[in-house]
Amino acid sequence: MSATSAAPPTSSSSPTDRPDRARSIAVRPRSAVALLLATAVGVAAFGWPLLADPGTGIAHLREAPLLFALLLPLVLAVVLAELSDDGIDAKAIAMLGVLTAVGAALRPLGTGIAGFEPVFFLLVLAGRVHGPGFGFVLGATTLFASALTTGGVGPWLPFQMLGAAWVGAGAGLLPRLRGRGELLLLAGYAAVAGLAYGVALNLSFWPFALGGETGLSFVAGDPVFDNLRRFLTFTLATSLGFDLPRAALTAALVLVTGRPLLRALRRAARRAAFDAPVEFSGDVRPGG
Amino acid sequence: MLTGRTALLPRQLHPGAWWLWALGLVAAATRTLNPLLLLLILAAAAYVVTARRTDAPWARSFAVFFKLALVVLAVRFVAQVLLGVAAGETVLVTLPQLPLPDWAAGVAVGGAVTLESVVAAFTDGLQLATILACIGAANALANPKRLLAAVPAALYEVGVAVVVALSFAPSLVTSVQRIRAARRLRGRPDRGLRSLVSVALPVLEEALERSIALAASMDSRGYGRRAEVSAATRRLTGTSTLLGLLGIAVGIYGVLDATSPPVLGLPTLLAGLVLAGGGLVLGGRRAVRTRYRPDPWTAPEWITAGSGLAAAVLVIVGGVIAPEALAPSTHPLVVPPLPLLPTVGVLLALLPAWLTPPPELLVRDVRRERAVAATSTSTKVGT
Repeated sequence: MSATSAAPPTSSSSPTDRPDRARSIAVRPRSAVALLLATAVGVAAFGWPLLADPGTGIAHLREAPLLFALLLPLVLAVVLAELSDDGIDAKAIAMLGVLTAVGAALRPLGTGIAGFEPVFFLLVLAGRVHGPGFGFVLGATTLFASALTTGGVGPWLPFQMLGAAWVGAGAGLLPRLRGRGELLLLAGYAAVAGLAYGVALNLSFWPFALGGETGLSFVAGDPVFDNLRRFLTFTLATSLGFDLPRAALTAALVLVTGRPLLRALRRAARRAAFDAPVEFSGDVRPGG
Repeated sequence: MLTGRTALLPRQLHPGAWWLWALGLVAAATRTLNPLLLLLILAAAAYVVTARRTDAPWARSFAVFFKLALVVLAVRFVAQVLLGVAAGETVLVTLPQLPLPDWAAGVAVGGAVTLESVVAAFTDGLQLATILACIGAANALANPKRLLAAVPAALYEVGVAVVVALSFAPSLVTSVQRIRAARRLRGRPDRGLRSLVSVALPVLEEALERSIALAASMDSRGYGRRAEVSAATRRLTGTSTLLGLLGIAVGIYGVLDATSPPVLGLPTLLAGLVLAGGGLVLGGRRAVRTRYRPDPWTAPEWITAGSGLAAAVLVIVGGVIAPEALAPSTHPLVVPPLPLLPTVGVLLALLPAWLTPPPELLVRDVRRERAVAATSTSTKVGT
């Protein structure tokens, strides 16, 4: 396949200073600002039980989580539209689609086998190879496709999509390392990201999970510190027992299987030649 | 009904209509803690689902969501009994207290369990269960693939990626089966943790290989054609998007912070929402979409979406008129009343069960019966 056959003459990124990474979805400065703003909104959407001042109306609003669940899809849509505003070329779309399918197929395995979160595993490796922009979009599409296939669209979906998108984007932002160091870095990141994702999602449904009357519940309008302590107790009591072994297992899986999978992903990215400048000239150069 | 026979010809309703209907019921459920009304909403959703679902795989999700709702109800109940702070005087049973370390101050395990707090926990859980069931109803009734066709035009590329993923999933399954069969034929283990990598790697390789082939075929079929968009429009799109996101971010933190000036709260948030939505619409101008197989939005869609909205509005209005009927006191306990206006509203949400076109399944059955009847009469005539 020759690089000159790629259709949209939009990719403006020249061959980058990081030749080992493909930039299949380039993050322009404008998109970076949009991502940062969306992250700020996301932090508020996840953390409002701890951030809200007791004096504000929202701290006492029962529907607050549902309102955030309606707000986040718009924010996600705007950011995804902004990331794809320059057009994503067919190779990146196809790669995104296929990896989304693999991730969505892996997801049900995670609920069957306690302590195994295969989605992050793929997301971290793909984000590492294809960069933060691709990682962000892949995280969102994987969870979305998985919800569509299992009929699991609900108020939790925007939170899951944003959380997974952060995990994928973060993997793309990790410092440059090769060999054993890279594997250790990715394994450590996968473990930390998986744990953080679990805690963040806990936080997003904590006001829902228990009624308002137990010692672990979110109490609207209480001082932040008291709510934080109750939340930590809640996490400790409910999910940390699952989250910790899961994080350890994901890290171990990255260590054991990361090398061949990274190689496969890199080879495909090289063959797709995302960074090759697209020119429409008369002469056809040998393939990329 | 409103538009004669053609409106009720069998077809699948626009998925957006089902989602609006379900969101209306969700909004109604969030406004009330009256167990009778909540059960009524639950029953209405269940009835419409049974009347209008297909035999598609996603139609089963109502049952899944319903089970999830029961789990939520049980978790809340157990949490209240074990960890709850008892309110009221009617003590049902007194559990032994468990001593806890200092850091868990404020958490009490065990103790008295009162009827009042158990009923309060039950209605609270019932509300959440009802919300879950309504969302499950939307999942069961709306065709997710047609929902994907309704994504904003600005998300065209991402939507294509999801479509690729959904249509690629079946071949992924066959790929796994083929590679496992090949391993069995070679006398290697094909299940268990050890074979995971040696099955997963070829599957991934093959998937990546296919993605490159798919990209080539997309390129050769003209994927990536874009409408002419002037530089000014593109600048406007970018500005509106960024300002919108900025407005949303500032607005959210303004809403969360009591000391910030009120202007930075809700007004900024709303302005941000409008700007971001505008950016999304403007960004959609670059995508060229097909007019093939449009999802019509006609009278049945209006009825469905409107009945959900009516349920929400009537329950909210009923709450303004008689707040105590929508949130009956649990301390002291009272028998929950059935307020007229909200009840009528929820009953309106039943309308889609009759006023929407049936999905294909039902009609096929009717046709089959007619065909059977026709053949039996013709054989009678023949003999």
